[in-house]
Amino acid sequence: MSQRTERRGIHVDQSDLLCKKGCGFYGYTAWQGLCSKCWREEYQRVRQQQIQDDWALAAKLQREEEAAYASSQGAQSQPQAQSTPPHPGHVSLGPFSKFEEKKTNEKTRKVTTVKKFFSPSSRTASKKEAQEGKSPSPSISRQASFDTDQVSKDFVDFLKNLQKPGREIHKQSRAFIVTMSSKKDLGADELSECVQDFYQHLADRLMGHFKGSSDSVEQVMDQVEKYIMTRLYKSVFCPETSDDEKNDLATQKRIRALHWVTIEMLCVSFDEEIPEVSDNVVNAITDIIEMDSKRVPRDKLSCITRCSKHIFSAIRITKNEPASADDFLPALIHIVLKANPPRLQSNIQYITRFCNPSRLMSGEDGYYFTNLCCAVAFIEKLDAQSLNLSPEEFERYMSGQASPRFSTSDGDLRQAGSSPDVTATNPALAQLNHNLKLLSGLSSKQESLMEAAQSLQADLIAWPETVQREVNGIVEKYPLEILSRTVSAIDANNMENDNLPPPLTPQVFAG
Amino acid sequence: MRVDAKVVMLGKESVGKTSLVERYVHHRFLVGPYQNTIGAAFVAKPIQVGEKVVTLGIWDTAGSERYEAMSRIYYRGARAALVCYDLSDSSSFQRARFWVKELQNCEEHCKIYLCGTKSDLIDGDRSLRQIDYHDAQDFAEEIGAQHFETSSKTGKNVDELFQKVAEVYNSTAFQYMTAEETGVDLGQKKDSYFYTCCHNN
Repeated sequence: MSQRTERRGIHVDQSDLLCKKGCGFYGYTAWQGLCSKCWREEYQRVRQQQIQDDWALAAKLQREEEAAYASSQGAQSQPQAQSTPPHPGHVSLGPFSKFEEKKTNEKTRKVTTVKKFFSPSSRTASKKEAQEGKSPSPSISRQASFDTDQVSKDFVDFLKNLQKPGREIHKQSRAFIVTMSSKKDLGADELSECVQDFYQHLADRLMGHFKGSSDSVEQVMDQVEKYIMTRLYKSVFCPETSDDEKNDLATQKRIRALHWVTIEMLCVSFDEEIPEVSDNVVNAITDIIEMDSKRVPRDKLSCITRCSKHIFSAIRITKNEPASADDFLPALIHIVLKANPPRLQSNIQYITRFCNPSRLMSGEDGYYFTNLCCAVAFIEKLDAQSLNLSPEEFERYMSGQASPRFSTSDGDLRQAGSSPDVTATNPALAQLNHNLKLLSGLSSKQESLMEAAQSLQADLIAWPETVQREVNGIVEKYPLEILSRTVSAIDANNMENDNLPPPLTPQVFAG
Repeated sequence: MRVDAKVVMLGKESVGKTSLVERYVHHRFLVGPYQNTIGAAFVAKPIQVGEKVVTLGIWDTAGSERYEAMSRIYYRGARAALVCYDLSDSSSFQRARFWVKELQNCEEHCKIYLCGTKSDLIDGDRSLRQIDYHDAQDFAEEIGAQHFETSSKTGKNVDELFQKVAEVYNSTAFQYMTAEETGVDLGQKKDSYFYTCCHNN
């Protein structure tokens, strides 16, 4: 891009400037060399195409699903399955494409930062570039707006119940977003101040309207926060004007360098041998990593809260008593070290700047958030003393010359995976070994079973032979003697029975 | 749950911060394994003060010295701090002095409550006492703090302590409110974007 502009500065050919469709108007590089009218047509066409493709794909998935369902359930369930709109298939694609979209957006944003250096007026340039960034695939912008549209819809639905003040709130929120979009170049602190001012004034006015019912005010403020921050997220999360990105990287590197810290050094009361505890630990790690994927400060906070609750359960199961802060903070540090959550500093800054302050200062969410801030501060300042190590040991571990998981201080032992120390420290490995043992036991059992089966087979083959032999022996020992044939007429034997009385005849009694 | 005021528990490790909260909220003091509650690190407790209900959010903090540098993050914005010390441990009182100084420097709106713990031990054996009642009382007066000697085991002074916290908060909050209501600056342009149609600056 920068190359092309340079070339244009030196030599400009008239035909290069005209719209590529040949309509006679001037084209523009950000619109792929088209004029505004042709670009709009082209953009609409691609967009339509994309929408149709998506629908076709969704319909196809739907059909496949139905077919699978029908084959498993029988034909009678088909009409029911058909009645559902093709949306579910489409929505189920959501999470992954959202992830992709985020990545791409991030890329374009970074590109914009670099490009900014080359352009004289940063504001207009960033606007154009933003459009250019979108142009290769219109589906990105469409996907991104899917979320925000949903949020806007929810917001409107919520405000409908409030009737007149609801319309007022909606108008002001929209106006505020417009105001904010023109303030992109402000520093992060100023942005934060604007948002906090807006919260404050809106809350004050609502307080007047609801006549001091702080619960209803809070409810409305939650919705307003959700709506505004979903809309503003992209421009105010980790803004270019702040050092957030640099801090993120520094923290990430720091946590990686501290991979050797064990739960014993932190005095964490987890017994990861207990399956329930390790489950809770895994859930806690998942929750804190998930924080980065949320947009609304409140949702991010609830991720932290969920993570903390899992930590509390883990401690309670281990110690069999309720956890105090003395147990909780080290455990949270341990979880943060293990999870190395993405963009941790940015997320903390974002919550601090844009969350409703009353929640952050005194509520339960605020408590856990404060603990997270402490954990991060501790990790940043962590030294030999805070782990009860000597400075030399600490240096050795940090430089990677030694690892506390092995008793010897030789550095080359890392690949020795079968050392008993490793199994002792790593529950997953212990589980693996246990399973291996079970499997080998199983295979030896199967072998003996096979042996027994083979001997049985051999026995079965041998059996008819032995029977045959026995029979032959018996036949030899007792040869078949055929006695000479004697008279066998039955009557001949009864010669002398002539004087027997005649057989009885039935007597008939008349009467 | 909505929380009106943030109350932090400060004090050296094992002075009994958690037990104090546990005693107050659940009315129990248990030695050994006990269940039912997930954690006592954060508790929201509604308290009746006159005709109003004040909800205190009670924050437990980690007392270990390795987290000392971070304690400032904890008490930021707190309306009351319960600085605890163990009556049978003079070093814990030194630490209490340290926190009082910190609070005075950083959080001027935070009311300080000096709170001796484990008074049941002292009642059992007077020779165990290492912090004189009058010394602590003098120190409390000097810093303008309330002073209590409590026992989480017997429940002595525990309810009184938290009731006092709620009452003091309630009266100061009332002062704030009246102070705000008296003066409204009509020339104030701060919330101008609610009333203008152009939102460009």
